[in-house]
Amino acid sequence: MTDTACGMVYVVDDDQDLGAAVARLLRRHGHVAEPFLDPAPLLEVYERAPAHCIVTDVMMGEIDGFDFADRVRLLDPAVAIIFMTAWPTTANAVDSVRRYGGLDYLEKPIDEDRLLAAITEGVAWSKAQRSALARTAGLTPRQRQVFDLLVKGHNNQAIAAALDISPKTVEDHRAAIVAKTGTNGIAQLIALAR
Amino acid sequence: MTTLAKPFVEPHTPSRATTVLPTVADLPWLVGYALAFLAAHHIAAEWGGRGFYSLLYPAAGFRIALLWRRGPRLTLAIIVAEILVQIGTGVIDPRSAGWLTALIGVIRPPLVYGLIVLLVRTMADRAQTSMSVAPMPLGLASVGAPAAAALTALPWSLLRPNLTGVSGLRETVTSLTGFVVGDLLGVLLLAPPLLWVADLATGGTLRPGRPSMASVAEAVVILVASFAIEILLARIGLGTPHTPVLLAVAWIGLRFGRLASWLAIVVVAAMVLPQTAMPMDMGGRLALHMSLASIMVVGYLAGSFADAQARVRVDLERRDRLLFQAERLKTLRAMSVAVIHEISQPLSTLAIEAKHLHELTVSADVEIATTAALIDRKAAALSTLVRRLRRFGGRTVDVPTPLPLATLIDTVAALARPEAKSHGVTLSIDAVAPDLVILAQEVELAQAIVNLVRNAVQACGNGTVTLGVTRTNRGVELVVVNGSRSTRPEQPGMGVGTLVARAIVEAHGGTLSRVTDTAGNTRATIALPLVGEPE
Repeated sequence: MTDTACGMVYVVDDDQDLGAAVARLLRRHGHVAEPFLDPAPLLEVYERAPAHCIVTDVMMGEIDGFDFADRVRLLDPAVAIIFMTAWPTTANAVDSVRRYGGLDYLEKPIDEDRLLAAITEGVAWSKAQRSALARTAGLTPRQRQVFDLLVKGHNNQAIAAALDISPKTVEDHRAAIVAKTGTNGIAQLIALAR
Repeated sequence: MTTLAKPFVEPHTPSRATTVLPTVADLPWLVGYALAFLAAHHIAAEWGGRGFYSLLYPAAGFRIALLWRRGPRLTLAIIVAEILVQIGTGVIDPRSAGWLTALIGVIRPPLVYGLIVLLVRTMADRAQTSMSVAPMPLGLASVGAPAAAALTALPWSLLRPNLTGVSGLRETVTSLTGFVVGDLLGVLLLAPPLLWVADLATGGTLRPGRPSMASVAEAVVILVASFAIEILLARIGLGTPHTPVLLAVAWIGLRFGRLASWLAIVVVAAMVLPQTAMPMDMGGRLALHMSLASIMVVGYLAGSFADAQARVRVDLERRDRLLFQAERLKTLRAMSVAVIHEISQPLSTLAIEAKHLHELTVSADVEIATTAALIDRKAAALSTLVRRLRRFGGRTVDVPTPLPLATLIDTVAALARPEAKSHGVTLSIDAVAPDLVILAQEVELAQAIVNLVRNAVQACGNGTVTLGVTRTNRGVELVVVNGSRSTRPEQPGMGVGTLVARAIVEAHGGTLSRVTDTAGNTRATIALPLVGEPE
């Protein structure tokens, strides 16, 4: 496994043995993995040590898996979340992906190959998100406004009208955005915005 | 799953007149009817009167019994039989001028009887109230047919008084009352026992249990007491009100059912009818017969009601037992889901670690490597089983999806094999062509097949149950076959498994049939449509 496919993964499960076993499994496959018994302590430390991917149980004590997913998304929109559960239902499976932005919904006992595939996919997605965010992070607020309109397909005139500035100024902002993000053309800009 | 109610409804002969022509099987019945009609018609003449044929008409009893037993489709045949008898006896004389009137007079009653029986049966098939519970429909027809036959005679009597020999409203009403009373007495006296005997002969009904001495004594005491009261009232000059006997017969009917009420009616009739056969004045005779008719109606309806109640009670008890069973299954299901959940947590850990151990020990000592590989394989198999069991036991709201039959049969095999093994039965499953796809709710349909396999395993006598799939020109057939049972005791099942299987299969647009051949082998066949088959 190459280094680019490996990432930082947190495993949250109220069954200590299972959490530890999954974390060890992931470490064996090259990831940096850490088990957590309870989502609350993880939320406290998360901002200082964000992960690429979180594998979480759905049914837990005070904070359930879905609640936890909502909170961690607020802290970090670029983390991939994978749910696992011993009480699978069709409704939860659909919700986990559509409402809580989960990457997969795994049934216990865990299908190991599927878990590993999902983690690899999640780590790759998260890394792409992070690099895109990093490249647009240096934009000024005004440049950010221009960027948002550009990737929606507006031309310079339209952007100038919308932001009440001259087309020449829009042109300047555009040059700055291209320079800061290191992109080449509108197609790459749109790819960043995804 | 509403179709579950279906098997509880007893099958009965089709009520609609599919054909008006009698079959060969009907002929003995019709010949018997013609002879009985001839005899009964003659006996009835003893109680004859002006404007009506008789105040006691047993032929009507034979008629309604035949219509009820063999279906209203025989109406036309019965009319022909009656016409032939009446031509033979000279009632219809083709050479006389009034032959047409006589012919219509002969045709009208059986025609109306046939229509009423048809109407009552159609109504009973559709009604969901106590009126549709046997023997209420027969009671209704027994009272309704004579009344309707008399009513249809009313316009005839009013328009053509010269033909019936009565004139004026008073005489017309007297004549019609005589008609109704005569037919009613005949029907109530004969139809119930005739039908009961016919049912008994074909095994359609259970032989009644021997009544207890206390019941017989109670009925006799009540009947005798009611007669004593009537005689006493007559002796002290208070006239002859028949209320005591009426109440006694009603009591007997409500307490002991239709057979008892009929016996009581026969006793009452045996005491009244010989008196009225002797010359006596018309008013007194009519009054006695009308009282007798009311006693019969009340007694018969009371008996029918008691029987219907008894049947409903038996049905309710059966359903209560089913509900109890269902409740137990619900608890069992909740327990298994909890157990599966509790197992799946540690099993997850076990499977992951076992696989790791297996990978670590591949190049170790052969003994260690073999043991680790075995643990890994067993943990993986157990994980698959737990996932499958949970899918089966969990609450699923899945819509039917295209499902390869091979997958379904695999699931069934995994679920049914352990039980077959514990019964010492080999479950032999034929290979299934991979291109057979059905539209199914997998969990439900698997349940249906497992139920059939389970029944087959429990009834199996020769140690093998086979499950085969064959393609037919209308879809696909799943066949579960088991050999005859020779020594095994009857299992205390209630047939719920088959009921559930049938309901599920029918919800999938299929059919379920079970056939036991002469050698005692049972074949349960589920026929299902395939996906993408032309309709």
